[in-house]
Amino acid sequence: MEPMKASLKRNRERPDGPGKVTGQMKYLSDLAFPGMLYGKIKRSDYPHARIISIDTKRAEQVPGVAAVITHKDVPGLNAFGIVIPDQPVLCEDYVRYTGDAVAAVAAESLAAAEQALDFIDIEYEPLLVVSDPVRSLDEETPNLHPAGNLLHEKTYIKGDVNAAFLSCSAVAEETYELPRQMHTYMETEGGVIIPEEDGGVTVYVGTQHGFQDRFQLSRILNMPEEDIRIVSSPMGGSFGGKDELNIQPYGALLALAAGRPVKIHQTRQESVLSGLKRHPMKITMKTGAGSNGQLLAHQVYILADTGAYSTLGPAILDFAVEHATGPYVIPNVHTEGQSVFTNNGVAGEFRGFGGNQVTFALEGQMDRLAEKLMIDPLELRRRNVRKKDSLGPLGQRIAPVTGASDVLESIAKHQEQTKDLLKDYTDKRKIRGIGSAITMHGGGLGYGRLDPAGGRLRLTEEGKIEAAFGFEEAGQGILGVIETIVTEELGCAAADLSIVIGDTALVPSSGSTTASRGTSMVWQALENMKRAFGSKLIAEAAEVTGVQVDILTLGRGGVFANTRENMNLPVITYSELASQSLDLEKLTVSTEFDFPTTPDEVDAGHFLYTFAGVLAQVEIDLLTGKVKVIDLDQAIAAGPVVNFLGYKGQIEGGGVMGLGYALMEEAIMTEGEYVTKNLDDYLIPGIGDVPFQMKVDAVETLEEGDSYGPRGVGEIGSVAVAPAIAKAVHDALGCWVNKLPVSAEETLLAVNQRRRHQWMKVEK
Amino acid sequence: MDESREVVQKFLEESLLHLNLTVNGEAVHLHVPPTARLVDIIRNEIHLTGTKVSCGIGRCGACSILMNGSLVNSCLVMAYQADQAVVTTIEGVKGGEGLHPIQEAFLEEGGFQCGYCTPGMIIAAKALLEENPHPTDKEIETALSGNLCRCTGYGGIIRAVRRAAEAM
Repeated sequence: MEPMKASLKRNRERPDGPGKVTGQMKYLSDLAFPGMLYGKIKRSDYPHARIISIDTKRAEQVPGVAAVITHKDVPGLNAFGIVIPDQPVLCEDYVRYTGDAVAAVAAESLAAAEQALDFIDIEYEPLLVVSDPVRSLDEETPNLHPAGNLLHEKTYIKGDVNAAFLSCSAVAEETYELPRQMHTYMETEGGVIIPEEDGGVTVYVGTQHGFQDRFQLSRILNMPEEDIRIVSSPMGGSFGGKDELNIQPYGALLALAAGRPVKIHQTRQESVLSGLKRHPMKITMKTGAGSNGQLLAHQVYILADTGAYSTLGPAILDFAVEHATGPYVIPNVHTEGQSVFTNNGVAGEFRGFGGNQVTFALEGQMDRLAEKLMIDPLELRRRNVRKKDSLGPLGQRIAPVTGASDVLESIAKHQEQTKDLLKDYTDKRKIRGIGSAITMHGGGLGYGRLDPAGGRLRLTEEGKIEAAFGFEEAGQGILGVIETIVTEELGCAAADLSIVIGDTALVPSSGSTTASRGTSMVWQALENMKRAFGSKLIAEAAEVTGVQVDILTLGRGGVFANTRENMNLPVITYSELASQSLDLEKLTVSTEFDFPTTPDEVDAGHFLYTFAGVLAQVEIDLLTGKVKVIDLDQAIAAGPVVNFLGYKGQIEGGGVMGLGYALMEEAIMTEGEYVTKNLDDYLIPGIGDVPFQMKVDAVETLEEGDSYGPRGVGEIGSVAVAPAIAKAVHDALGCWVNKLPVSAEETLLAVNQRRRHQWMKVEK
Repeated sequence: MDESREVVQKFLEESLLHLNLTVNGEAVHLHVPPTARLVDIIRNEIHLTGTKVSCGIGRCGACSILMNGSLVNSCLVMAYQADQAVVTTIEGVKGGEGLHPIQEAFLEEGGFQCGYCTPGMIIAAKALLEENPHPTDKEIETALSGNLCRCTGYGGIIRAVRRAAEAM
């Protein structure tokens, strides 16, 4: 694919736009069906306890209650989890976090369901709460799972760090603490589950992988997968948070028990309690360099608090270990990661997938080392950044790419310009600072992981070109990506298309809508299908019209002949072709393939990487310590841009999510209980917290022979923001940030220590 | 127990409020508990699901509507407070033939992604632009500060409101 510079002008409106701006589009939690009941889930009263008894009799007597279910009512496997099913659907013997479900109710009204929940009598024996991940592996700590409290560990060793540290001129060592961030999708988990007359169920609930939900529900319900239909799109946001099952099993069990449709739509409080979060991590890094700034040794220990259950905890730790060296070439590396169980909220998949945590630590190391070596921080990065053909972070071969230095140089230029503007800044009560960070981020699931994709094109009876993919629209714009790529590759118009996604009854499996893989996979699918599909339509058009094949092409509205007199009118429209074709079924092309991986046998190693460079300018109020972000500019290298409006939106949105991570967001837990319960104490950035203009510089070039097309940018914009902001705070105040979110108390302390606040006397 | 249930039931029925609303220009009469949330009435009784619920405590603005011309969080309004009110929801926001200029601007500038905050955001923008057709950036910030968006980072929303102000 040619680099598409013209794409910078391409600001295509999204196909789902009109429905969204008019409020006409139904989310799955907006649906209502005749005879529908309301479901509610009874969650644990304790973060860790043994269940002595569960009595539902009183609840069953509440007027309007149609079904009450407990573990006894799960016909199949009473557990879920994408990789390791270790989370009970309905707890039988133990509860391991306050989001654990013990029972569920369906009733005629929400009020009746809520009342019935209060009448479920559960007797518990509270157990010691494991809330500190540091102590999770201690011998005296109770085991939360039969195999102990270590979910996963991963080590990567290259060279000999101990020997290398001896020859370093400067060594930086620091422990970084990263908070439990909440996805805060605006639409909480919800939808409707319908029992079908043939004994199956239809599940209208958002998820990032409909076929995965179908598989998991089939295990739980003890029902063949073919009998389960998952309608999983659209969603009001997900960011990884709806990848795992959430309310689906309860809705399905209740609907089957009551024989009626059941709607569950979690309140925000319920969502906070039961939803996934980003892994809190404690990361210790020791990084050494020679006097010329060349990195020589990098030692890393990562401790991740995975909470009560596995979900994708192991893969996230693997990703963090892989990305612990970022875009730098370091000869001696020793990275160890451990992900441990606690009685805290379940941590799992979240935009950035472990990369955001290690990037904060790694870029912090680069800035600390630069100061010790008295080298400009970007120059230090320049001296160590990977080259086009450098191996990947785990020593694996990857697709050649110059993205790391491209984004570094782009952001260096931005930084010079911003510094120039800052020279004239004077404000007695405020101080400003600038910081930059870069990162690299793998796409797809990685080597050795099942990562299939696929798609299908066909001409429908109505004369539409149907493009079907097993992806979901969570807001990221996959519908716009499909429309853009299909119309450009086939030459047809958007009006000729019918895009079908997010319904296991109608689409081929395309793998998960995660890991920044959607855009890559749609493009690859079209590469695989476009010629075959074009040829089939043209051959059929020739057959029907009698026009010779070699002058026919697909166009907007139909098939055109390359002759002077027929330039503007199709020889046959797509709908005429559909109605006149004698064998419409043969006008179908489908493809199945895998996300490209490294040829080297390196477990979980990635092959396609994207890059980001971030420039942050902050303004710190010397009276309150409050940090405000003035500039948040990003340079992104992710191959050709499919649609600049969507691309920019992903980077700006990811950037502001990173801003929240750096300055505001933490789902606080003490002793296994959430202290933050809703959006009044869990603060996400509002319009007043963001720069009114954020620059996005897209580096679109691909290396000669790179046949992998545009890469997804769903995650990359969120990854390197926090370290850039932390460095900007350091630039302003001289204090190093090692814990997020940045606390105003600490910045204020730094202000006072440095006597910036000169009109106030500072006690000695 | 059955007797007391009947008493409670009777009490609940007698205490239902005869609610009169004008919603998007149409008269609506309903019997609802006086403390029912207006957002639930709009979504579940009048079946206008464009108005969303996200936090339920008036923090996020997903349920924003215009009530007697003022911007309110419909999750914080109870039925008795809304009696006789004139309500505009997103379904009542229209241009002449097609979309309202604010809606057009949100489309053109990428002012939405998942779209869940969008109805409330457009209502808030409408409340602003009808009162102040040429807002400064600071005024845009103030007017939309009660509406949270998790997808866009607000960049597209800011551009959309500026563009709508020019177009209107």
